[in-house]
Amino acid sequence: MSSRPAAEIQLTIDGRPISVPVGTTIFDAARVNGIPIPTLCHQQNENPVGVCRVCVVDIGQRVYAASCIRQCESGMTVKTATDQVHAARNTLVELLMSDHPAPCARQQQSGDCELERLAGAAGIKESRFPHRTTPRGKDDSSAVIAVDHEACILCDRCIRGCDDIRDNWVLARRGKGYQAGIAFDNNLPMSESSCVSCGECMVSCPTGALTNKRVVGTQLGEGDVLDPSELLGLPIFQKKRHFKAGEIVCREGEFGSTAFYILEGQAEVFLASPIAHVKTEGSSKGFFSKLQSLLAPREGDRRSEESDRPFIPIDASVDLPYDSPIAELNPGDMFGEMTCMSYYPRSATVRARTDCVMLEMLRNVLDILQRNKTFRAQLERNYRARALDSHLRSVPVFKSLTQDFIDHLRDRVELLRFNPGQVICRQGDPADSFYLVRIGFVKVSEQRPGGELVLAYLARGGYFGEIALLSGSPRSATCTALDHVEVVRIVGEDFQLMLDRFPEVRQKLEAIAQERIKENLRHTVQTQNVPVDQFLAQGLMEAQSLLVLDLEKCTRCDQCVRACADAHEGVSRLVREGLRFDKYLVATSCRQCRDPLCMVGCPVGSIRRRNTLEVIIEDWCIGCGLCATNCPYGNINLHPFPAELDDPSHPGQTIAGVRVKATSCDLCHDHAEPSCVYACPHDAAHRVNPPEFFAGMLAQPAPRTDGS
Amino acid sequence: MIDELRSIQHQFGYLPADRLQELAAKIQDPLSQIHAVASFYPHFHLAPPAQVEVRVCADMSCHLRGAPALKHGLEQAFGAGGAEKVAVRNVSCLGRCDQAPALSINDQIYTNIDEQRTLGLVRDVLAGRELPAAQSSHKPLPVLSDPYNGSPNYSAVRQFVQTPDWSGVVATLKAAGLRGMGGAGFPTGSKWEIVRNAPGKEKYIVCNADESEPGTIKDRFIMENVPYLVIEGMIMAGLVTGARRGILYIRHEYHRPKEILQAEIDRCYRDGLLGPRILGSDLEFDLEIFVSPGGYICGEESALLEAIEGKRAEPRNKPPFPGTNGLWNQPTAINNVETFTFATVILSRGADWFKSQGTNGASGMKFVGISGDVNRPGVYEVPMGTKYSALIFEYAGGIPGGRQLLAYAPSGPSSGYLPASMADLPLDWNAVAAAGSMVGSGAIVVCAEGRCMLDMALNAVRFYRNESCGKCVPCRVGSQKLVEMLSGWTEGRSSTSDLPLLDELSHALKLTSICGLGQVVPVPILSVLKHFRAVVDDHRNHRRCAAGVCFSARGTA
Repeated sequence: MSSRPAAEIQLTIDGRPISVPVGTTIFDAARVNGIPIPTLCHQQNENPVGVCRVCVVDIGQRVYAASCIRQCESGMTVKTATDQVHAARNTLVELLMSDHPAPCARQQQSGDCELERLAGAAGIKESRFPHRTTPRGKDDSSAVIAVDHEACILCDRCIRGCDDIRDNWVLARRGKGYQAGIAFDNNLPMSESSCVSCGECMVSCPTGALTNKRVVGTQLGEGDVLDPSELLGLPIFQKKRHFKAGEIVCREGEFGSTAFYILEGQAEVFLASPIAHVKTEGSSKGFFSKLQSLLAPREGDRRSEESDRPFIPIDASVDLPYDSPIAELNPGDMFGEMTCMSYYPRSATVRARTDCVMLEMLRNVLDILQRNKTFRAQLERNYRARALDSHLRSVPVFKSLTQDFIDHLRDRVELLRFNPGQVICRQGDPADSFYLVRIGFVKVSEQRPGGELVLAYLARGGYFGEIALLSGSPRSATCTALDHVEVVRIVGEDFQLMLDRFPEVRQKLEAIAQERIKENLRHTVQTQNVPVDQFLAQGLMEAQSLLVLDLEKCTRCDQCVRACADAHEGVSRLVREGLRFDKYLVATSCRQCRDPLCMVGCPVGSIRRRNTLEVIIEDWCIGCGLCATNCPYGNINLHPFPAELDDPSHPGQTIAGVRVKATSCDLCHDHAEPSCVYACPHDAAHRVNPPEFFAGMLAQPAPRTDGS
Repeated sequence: MIDELRSIQHQFGYLPADRLQELAAKIQDPLSQIHAVASFYPHFHLAPPAQVEVRVCADMSCHLRGAPALKHGLEQAFGAGGAEKVAVRNVSCLGRCDQAPALSINDQIYTNIDEQRTLGLVRDVLAGRELPAAQSSHKPLPVLSDPYNGSPNYSAVRQFVQTPDWSGVVATLKAAGLRGMGGAGFPTGSKWEIVRNAPGKEKYIVCNADESEPGTIKDRFIMENVPYLVIEGMIMAGLVTGARRGILYIRHEYHRPKEILQAEIDRCYRDGLLGPRILGSDLEFDLEIFVSPGGYICGEESALLEAIEGKRAEPRNKPPFPGTNGLWNQPTAINNVETFTFATVILSRGADWFKSQGTNGASGMKFVGISGDVNRPGVYEVPMGTKYSALIFEYAGGIPGGRQLLAYAPSGPSSGYLPASMADLPLDWNAVAAAGSMVGSGAIVVCAEGRCMLDMALNAVRFYRNESCGKCVPCRVGSQKLVEMLSGWTEGRSSTSDLPLLDELSHALKLTSICGLGQVVPVPILSVLKHFRAVVDDHRNHRRCAAGVCFSARGTA
């Protein structure tokens, strides 16, 4: 449990000092700091190859570096956006456009040809280079996938998708130089090759070189349930799943990679974990005797600043009511999209209520479907008809919206999707809409002197954009999609209408906006008060509360560790090793970070921060363990508890088993001070606020020579 | 994999699809990967070749020495109807620039050849007669620097085995100022030191004998005449760096140098200079020859490593560099043939001897190839600092027919062309760099008055277009668009927007290409625009080619 953060290196990107772990590429370093670099050949889920060169940056050397593959080096000065760099990038895009059949099939079908989008952004309408005269051909042999070599830009994304991701090894480059292209096996027509039509190449392709043949066309009548297997004709898709009534379709907390689409029957979605959090109680025999960890439901242990969410967000088209976490899914509904797109654990358990027929699909198929206008239209129609109400109402501030207003919004809201790393709105830009997160995680960050400050990670049910709309000022923060994100966009006009009609909503939003602004200001003050170089270098500035051991007093007796273990059912949440800073050892225990990575990805949004800064795990934790994996400091533990489980071999019956829930250091908040601090016989253990604690030491002026 | 492909092609004359499938099953590699490799290298044919494959070298020196007319004549002779029996095409530089023009008939190379003789040879093949051996027997020429005067005793290796002082060797090479002779000029001592210090369970020495840039013929000369200096240099590199395996990567058109080197390697094994216990010590070094499946890009060091690994020879993104992450991702010292040769010379004769060899303020020796419009094309071993005018007019005997010098390329297409007014530049890394060009590999190509410099620029750019591996966008697409633009100028098509566009394209090529090939694509035309602007303007504005080369169907190769 003593995983340590990787060593950090410092560099400058566009004049901003930035610190990243060793091994980070320039592209990633820039991206996480809100500096987007365009690219065509690079995707987050594939190894970089640096062939399109669109992501080049100036690093002060003889030639530019491809940022997708070049690693950051200490002291590097990177310029991502000089006129010269832009000129070189635009020339590359113009070169590709000169041989590109614009608008290509992808642009025509879904308007998202990445090359044409880049060209549009660069203002390239007509390439000044002559168009290719030697035809490269098309391959129409596959029943499913259309291959247009004319639109291929040889980014190798399909090849990596086929070879590295799917391990199919059907696609490779062929030929050399200007005659190079992609080939199936030894340049066979696709239908005669060993291709299994998994569709990964299609998903990976940035242009219209590889597209789905049936993506356009199919029209649906009102109320029909679309059978995507017929729409796409993918052989891999033909496997429909049949579930008997009572059978479990998927379980919360399990890692998966598929989404489900219901064709027939009803299913129920619910949380099987007991709704309760882990609570530590002291027994009467003094602190050295065993303290007990118990499960405490909300009613039995009301905690301060309890979230008043009436709904638990899950990865489906519905949310679950807190008091009775169960809901119904019907034909045409989809669930597991986040698990499928971003490999998050399942957020809830789904059980067939009647006999069901479902399509289980992998990411590639889901992606194609989501690009499909017909299918998207159906999903959106379902969402608007069935889920928008509960989604809006699941946000406490919107509780008071009336049905007629939700109906008004129903057809007015826009449903938008964003790819990982894409900026949804940028700090300083004029504000024109309000966003509600439907799928995925959105990072809200602010540019500050000294770097980027992450204000929040928003999950389903989270919303952003209200501060600027309320005040009429520009965007106060940058919001970036962390993974596959879908948002509901309410345009400024409707937002204003809502504020005018529902003063209660305005009031609540204003109060929350005030709170957010105040919180942000507090962060700013903290950041500015501390001389932080060494601090930042160890990642300690991220921390809000640290357990530090004074090594001059500490005798290494481990009483602190034992006290913690005693306080938490024999499992210590603290390890007496870690980073050294001056004479202090920063023990491995929850630091209540400024950028709490543990909160990214919680499938049910149960880990959050209180205003007191304590990171808290809500009682609907399903024990998937993702937060523990995400914590770079190894400070989150999973505790087992006995529970009744569904018997897999006898649907409808239960058996005794074990469930887990996550815990992090809770600062023993039921006691006067943390057990570890209390237990230390040498006064060596302290819980401190690092900026305050170290400020005196760090800010000590250099010794003066005049003796004064 | 490449050996397997070679043996299939040897058996069938090409690579039949079913054999590739069998190979895939045999070596457990996906068919797509085998096809990717097979379709990349010019040496491999995926379809049955014609009965007679005639390939005429299209590049600089042969271009100057009548290759376009030769090819045109052959096409006329075999054009209609004979295509399936006789195929006439261009091929990139065959490395016989001193015996131009050169061509190959069914992979057999013939030099100083004319149309009549070619026709005779083709008819011989069609009539089922054996092709005559291309070359006469080999008689080594003396090399001035050779410390052994033709009788090698590998004294540097013997001394190292006695007293293994690797840091002393590195220090000597550094003191001599030896730099990479393949074109890039990286200090050799430092390179060996990097590999010595790099952690790795296995290390490699690679000799780059893939010289394929038009005009570059010096390595062939060295390998044919002092093969032992190359081999001793590689052994020394192995001993110094701790590498136990060496690979000499040679282009497949260099059949005779390969035979000569192999004979010398065999001799070293017999004499205990190679193998598990060198001269009875506990030092070991094995050396083998790898024959390139073809392509100029294989001379790029990281592409060369990819080729040895059995992949498409596409240059890697750097860093990391081969010194730490080379062959099979292990530390690897790659040096040019000439670099290994001079390393041996320096370790035998001392750093001071090498440094004292220069003239005009420069130090060291260099092998240069001089070809094109000169009376005595060939390879010359000259002191650094010698003026190019002396190389052209004294060593190479001046220009045929008493014509004036118009321009010269100090190092093939990659150096661009310099005008006659700059012929007094010394053969010196810094001086030539200051003049906007480079010493490079010393592939001097001479153009006499009456040559069209736009045509020469197009010829050089077309070479790069033909040899681009296609991995990255700027080189793959940019080189093609540049050829199209320049072809337009020589055929009467140009636009006012061409020159600004050429600037933008050059900017992108130079700064964004993965490897040196893409980065130098625009160099030939930029040098001609700089030094021969009037020639370009004449073509573009007046559709006039003073040399009478352009605006005709048979003018360009």
